[in-house]
Amino acid sequence: MNGNSRQQVIPPTRSRVKAGFVVYSPESDTRELIILDKGELVAVDKSNGDREIKFKMHPGDIVGVASLFEREPLRYTIEASEDSEVTILSEECLESELKNIPVWLLATLRSLSVRTRELKQGAKRTPVENSLKSLAEYCAHLDSNIKYPLEEFIREFNWLTRIPAATIKGDVKALLRRNFIGLTKDGEDLYLQVHNATLMQIYSDYLHAQDEGTLWSPLRLNLAQKRILVHLTTLDDHVQMEAPEWIAYLTRKGLAIDVSQWITLEDLGCFVAGEENKYHIDQAKVEYYLTAIRYDSNLRGAV
Amino acid sequence: MLVKEGEYLFLEGDKASSLVIVKSGMLVGTSKQFRKSKFQNFGPGSLIGEFSILESRPREYTVRAAENSEVLFIEQKDLMRELEHKPGWFRSTLSFLASHCHTAEENSRKMRIVQALPALLFLFKNHLDVSGSDNITLALLQQKMLVLDNVDYADTEKLLQILEGLEMLRIEGDLVRVSNLQIVPMLYDALQFRALNKQVSPDILPITDQLVLTTFVKAVRENGISIRGTRTTVSADLFIAQAKKTMFGSLTMRTLAPLLQNGMLEAEPAYSEATTLEAIESISGDFEHILDLLELNRIFPLLDKKLV
Repeated sequence: MNGNSRQQVIPPTRSRVKAGFVVYSPESDTRELIILDKGELVAVDKSNGDREIKFKMHPGDIVGVASLFEREPLRYTIEASEDSEVTILSEECLESELKNIPVWLLATLRSLSVRTRELKQGAKRTPVENSLKSLAEYCAHLDSNIKYPLEEFIREFNWLTRIPAATIKGDVKALLRRNFIGLTKDGEDLYLQVHNATLMQIYSDYLHAQDEGTLWSPLRLNLAQKRILVHLTTLDDHVQMEAPEWIAYLTRKGLAIDVSQWITLEDLGCFVAGEENKYHIDQAKVEYYLTAIRYDSNLRGAV
Repeated sequence: MLVKEGEYLFLEGDKASSLVIVKSGMLVGTSKQFRKSKFQNFGPGSLIGEFSILESRPREYTVRAAENSEVLFIEQKDLMRELEHKPGWFRSTLSFLASHCHTAEENSRKMRIVQALPALLFLFKNHLDVSGSDNITLALLQQKMLVLDNVDYADTEKLLQILEGLEMLRIEGDLVRVSNLQIVPMLYDALQFRALNKQVSPDILPITDQLVLTTFVKAVRENGISIRGTRTTVSADLFIAQAKKTMFGSLTMRTLAPLLQNGMLEAEPAYSEATTLEAIESISGDFEHILDLLELNRIFPLLDKKLV
């Protein structure tokens, strides 16, 4: 991997230029690397019709690297602000030099420029990897009593996440297919309405668990535990008992529960510890799990 | 060098001055900066440690062989030997590319934080609205930022610290508490208005309007005027006297009119185009709303500076 088969190197051009000489113009199609050996160069932005000096170059400075390696056009005119000496490397000259370096060094140069280009492009793209999950989370915060104009909805969500409008529209359809949202038409305008914000939160959590490769909590519930949850909805959330009392109470109700099942339900947050080792029901959590179970087929997209 | 499946090549943070080239097999890189589900694969031809060979930077990843692999180490002395035979510009180009890459990384990191602000405000304002409280747990906010906008926990915390620096909120251990319940939604709306309409939100006021409103607030406070309901009334005499101190005497009908026209302040008798300053008997306004607006206008211009 040392690539030592030396090839002919095209030498760079060395020139003496007078003050005011244009060394590089952005209007030219050539891509060059300019090294200042002596004197002073200035980078001038003429794009707005004005003449604005963006930076000055001093001996040893180099310009055009990004243009050659990262295909990022050099936007400024490079002019000599005093009599100067410059070395100019054309694309061909650089390529001939790069043919004479080991493969690993060439790969390092390329890797740096690719990484820089990807970072710059990445800043313009959405960072969101699962756009449907993101949309579900967004919808979970909307008011189910409000009909949102679809165009405004898409614009706001696009602004928040930079997810392209076309992708958002596709994801809106995916939510529509699952009956999580409704679309209505009024005149020329379409309106979106979230049927159940909690369900959207559940769907977002479900997708997140899938992404993380973890077992989603409602899927941990067995049949006996599901029956217990249904019974808990009939109770007041102020009821407080110690764990053994809860187990005894539920057993009396014909709902088989052992210590491990109790621990699972507590771990899932259905029972919350209060004072003096007493536990009360978290009805919101219970409702969350029961809603998840009820809409299981919608969540899996099997409707 | 052969690396057996499951063996570690090196750990994140290890001192290093070599480049690794994967000749065959597959290696997996993980980093504390990634979430546990995130990793980077290095297959045949991949490079690991460009900055280690160029700048002796510590290893960016913990790298483990996912299968039996063969790697080649290139040491810094190999690079130096190669550069000795190269013209001076070659070395300059290499260091330019490395520093350009660092700049792009830094800009990308900053940009992520700037771009995450609307999502943070959205989640925060909705949570405050639904819960009726003035706080949210840090863990919940971080989790939701990850789901909504794929923002890492550390970036969310960094963003919160910036907002804390603006006195918008306080991070109290596991809790994030807002200083003013109205500012979060107002800031969200102002940013959204600017982004979607490409113009300044009506809530972002010219400096003259801010001075007039500050005059109103000071006139109320310094004269102990009571606030009945939400509206407060100040006599024209007190208002003009206060304006002499706050606005250095620059209060004119022209500076007052915009606020009377948009309803931020109300004059008695009611404002018309013919109204003169001398004809006004009193001025009233929604005191709390004016305070919130002034707070928004304090924060808004500072945001860009703090974030960028």
